[in-house]
Amino acid sequence: VTGGLRVLPGPWLLRAESPDLASHRRLRGTPGRTSVDDLLAVAGRSALRGRGGAGFPFATKLRTTAEAGRRRHVVVNLSEGEPASFKDTALALRQPHLVLDGAGAAATALECRRVHLVLPADRPEVGRAVVRALDERRHDDRRARLRWRLHTAAPRFVSGEASAVVELVDGRHNLPVTTWEPTAVAGVRGEPTLLSNAETFAQLAALLLDQQVPGPPHEPGTRLLSIRERTGTTRVVEVPHGTSWQEVLAPAELAGPVLLGGYHGTWAPTGTLERLTVSHAELVAAGLGIGAGVVIPLGEGHCPLATTARIVRYLAGQSAGRCGPCLHGTPALATAFEALVDGGPVQTVERLLALVRGRGACAHPDGIARLVASTLDAFPAEVAAHGGGRCAVGVGGRVRPADRAGAR
Amino acid sequence: VSGRREVPADLRVDWPRCAGRGLCHELLPEAIDLDPWGYPLVTAPVDRRLRRAAREAVRSCPLQALRLVDRPAPPEISRRTLR
Repeated sequence: VTGGLRVLPGPWLLRAESPDLASHRRLRGTPGRTSVDDLLAVAGRSALRGRGGAGFPFATKLRTTAEAGRRRHVVVNLSEGEPASFKDTALALRQPHLVLDGAGAAATALECRRVHLVLPADRPEVGRAVVRALDERRHDDRRARLRWRLHTAAPRFVSGEASAVVELVDGRHNLPVTTWEPTAVAGVRGEPTLLSNAETFAQLAALLLDQQVPGPPHEPGTRLLSIRERTGTTRVVEVPHGTSWQEVLAPAELAGPVLLGGYHGTWAPTGTLERLTVSHAELVAAGLGIGAGVVIPLGEGHCPLATTARIVRYLAGQSAGRCGPCLHGTPALATAFEALVDGGPVQTVERLLALVRGRGACAHPDGIARLVASTLDAFPAEVAAHGGGRCAVGVGGRVRPADRAGAR
Repeated sequence: VSGRREVPADLRVDWPRCAGRGLCHELLPEAIDLDPWGYPLVTAPVDRRLRRAAREAVRSCPLQALRLVDRPAPPEISRRTLR
């Protein structure tokens, strides 16, 4: 269910006017040779966190990969399994060389010559942009002895999960598997692997190439957000950390609850975000998370429970179906949540939450549980109203009957 | 090695492998319950008292879908939530 994509110019990563190599080099120069220690210093100083959703410190991941063995791999995840996320697509279209510079610097520092790029099957324009960019830098990369391998991830929510990506690169099915060690220790071919999201590598490259880093000293850098607009269009914006949400979102978008971090994310009830900024630490302290940067404002007068019910049903259908609790538990949870919207008991939802949470090879059941738990936390009045057979959400405070088809 | 055995361990299920045969629950009801669909629900860590029975449950799983993982739980990095 995707409409158009609108990428707004940004202060740092999205600052460039044109995606070609010549203008990229003119604007940012050429990265010099960097060692693992150089990269650790840069990533550590800026407290760079992964942008794929987990927000793990990049320096720790890089150090683990460097120390876990001598044959190492670098994997760039551009697949964006989450349908509402478009920031990596935006990067591929607008600044592919920034992503490639970051991945190339990491690969050179880790002394691995082959870099794996994982592309989304359902967004062929991303693959085309990446291929065009690789073609432009063929001579430079040959000199640097860098070789790129392209892989195409299946269009499924869980295809972008780290273990599913490693499976794909290793030539097996693009599905999550149980892992007993982190990817940084045992990833591709069971060897140390630096697997990160495309934006993370772009942030790394920007830190290497640009002297002036936006954002406050305690949380330097920017963040790419995919904001779903009411029209169905997604706008991708780049905002420095510490920017007020009132600057990021329009008043109409702040007039209702906002789903932060996408379909595996958490709800910020109406009025919460006004007091906060785009800051990992601040959002976590408020019980929220930015995930991979997906922001879905519900707008005023729409029922968040009905919306959640639809998302949970969609997510249940996205299970790979290989883990029993996910295969059976997530559709049951979706059914229980739909029943809740129609006046059913919240206890059934809570019981199923406990049976889904933490029980799978990947984070899919956890993510669904997080969304559902956050919905119950954020909207106690709505839950109570639906329990009484009514929907409390109405324009101007009117109470209107629960109407799933009528809500957004 | 003997010192290691004092440390509590956790039972971890290899979910894509597990088919819900339920043998682990039969052998180790103190730490493994079954969910409504017949899949194991780990209810307790494995202390010294349960070690032997837990090993037996791990060995007996027909699909080798159960593991005993020593604490402290391994990775600071979780590869599960990356995307």
